[in-house]
Amino acid sequence: MAAERGFSATATPVRRILALGGHEFSSSPPDRAVRELLLRLAAERGGGRPRICILPTASGDTSDLIASFYSAFGERPCEPSDVSLFRLGRRPLALRDHLLAQDLIYVGGGSMVNLLAVWEAHDIASILSLAWRQGIVLAGQSAGAMCWFEAGITKSSGRPLAAAGLGLLSGSLCVHYNNEPERRAAYLSAVGEGMPGGYGLDDYAGLLWEGEGTPSALTARRGARAYRVSSRDGEVAESPLPARFLPAPAPAALREDIAEFRRIKTMRKRAGWLG
Amino acid sequence: MKTAARQIVAFGGGGFSMESGNPLLDDYVLGLAKAERPRVCFLPSASGDADHYIVRFYRAFSAHRCEASHISLFRREQGPDDLRRHLLSQDLIYVGGGSVVSLLGVWRAHGIDSILREAWEAGVVLCGLSAGSLCWFAEAVSGFHGAPKRLRGLGLLPFSNCVHYERGSKRGEAYHGFLREGMRGGYAAEDGAALHFVGEELSRVVASRPEARGYRLDVAGSRVVEMRIATTYLGDRGAVPAAPLPEALSTAPAA
Repeated sequence: MAAERGFSATATPVRRILALGGHEFSSSPPDRAVRELLLRLAAERGGGRPRICILPTASGDTSDLIASFYSAFGERPCEPSDVSLFRLGRRPLALRDHLLAQDLIYVGGGSMVNLLAVWEAHDIASILSLAWRQGIVLAGQSAGAMCWFEAGITKSSGRPLAAAGLGLLSGSLCVHYNNEPERRAAYLSAVGEGMPGGYGLDDYAGLLWEGEGTPSALTARRGARAYRVSSRDGEVAESPLPARFLPAPAPAALREDIAEFRRIKTMRKRAGWLG
Repeated sequence: MKTAARQIVAFGGGGFSMESGNPLLDDYVLGLAKAERPRVCFLPSASGDADHYIVRFYRAFSAHRCEASHISLFRREQGPDDLRRHLLSQDLIYVGGGSVVSLLGVWRAHGIDSILREAWEAGVVLCGLSAGSLCWFAEAVSGFHGAPKRLRGLGLLPFSNCVHYERGSKRGEAYHGFLREGMRGGYAAEDGAALHFVGEELSRVVASRPEARGYRLDVAGSRVVEMRIATTYLGDRGAVPAAPLPEALSTAPAA
């Protein structure tokens, strides 16, 4: 029974990971669509005011990213926060308690090599793995998407190279698939040479794992695709996955304008001003 | 071929990061580079390569007195391709403050730890403040986040180190505690004081503030023995440099 769902002590929480090929927290329609998806996933776990925390480690905790995250989620019903490992000196925080109290943990992009190195130094990996098993949604874009896999293709050292991830998801991921042909080429040749196969994600395409099994593909921009990449006898095959389109919500200001317009229209109708 | 001595200048705190308008420590390390227009590379890794910090470095180490560069390990695509070659071609490598745990993690990931040892052995002067001081020692007291912690550094200098060693600080208390628990002896420096090592020996302590001091700490039995080290204030031109001999000042009994 649905009412009992939250109370069963034995139920295993559904493990969810959302991997995104690339996006920003801007007010553009596809970025708003991604934001609403993150919010919906968080709300499915946390209810009306879910807790969403950004880990901007891969960027070196840049203020630009943190500010754009807060400005995107600040106007939505949720409790946004950030864990900036490079800024803990100024903002002490009980890392483990804070992360395990979230409904969704979002990992920003940047250097995948540095991300994993800093997480290892601060012992974050075990916390994230526990969070995942507890049903806290793990999400991220670019380095923040590849980190969940066994391997990814990073440009952390300049040229695109294979790098190991946390391995919560088996196989590999390559991001910015459409935008960075050299990264895609490096991925295809790495898979041909024995790197475990996996997925390629264009910017604004995503893959959502809910429990075991195959992920569902999503896209926030027409034409953005997710690919299955696999190798058989040294031949690398790349096949696009059918994806569900995420429509962008109207921006908040526009929603208010539309509501206002409708109110006026109704009043006018009642008053007989309009034919 | 460089056959210069291995040198490390470990600031307790200070330089352009902390002492806006007081360039004494930065001038001192720049003066150690023998070149007329020294090559200085900034490593802001401990700050996550914060943009504002990099800009402040370039303002402090302006082009008229040195050839400045930086390495951003979070944005490798923008920097020199060959990290080793770039670092080994410097006269001075300046490490910024921030999280020493993150610093060491990122360095290891990019192989910077072994390159820095090589640079040190080749005579490139290494310096830094706070996390950029702790990193050179075998053991360090980090007070960056929460209660002070004991951690391992690169180990170029076979001592322990504590920075921002101000009177009555939590770090200082914790350092004494760690020493009693078996941490190796070492050196502490107040903000404005810098420990200048030649090889593995402390050569002198210099300061950008008249009152700033460096300390030697050892354990004798169950007692922590703290000695204040005679310090040369860099502000008074023509001042006779004090002999770099430690003067016994106090012995702190075990708790």
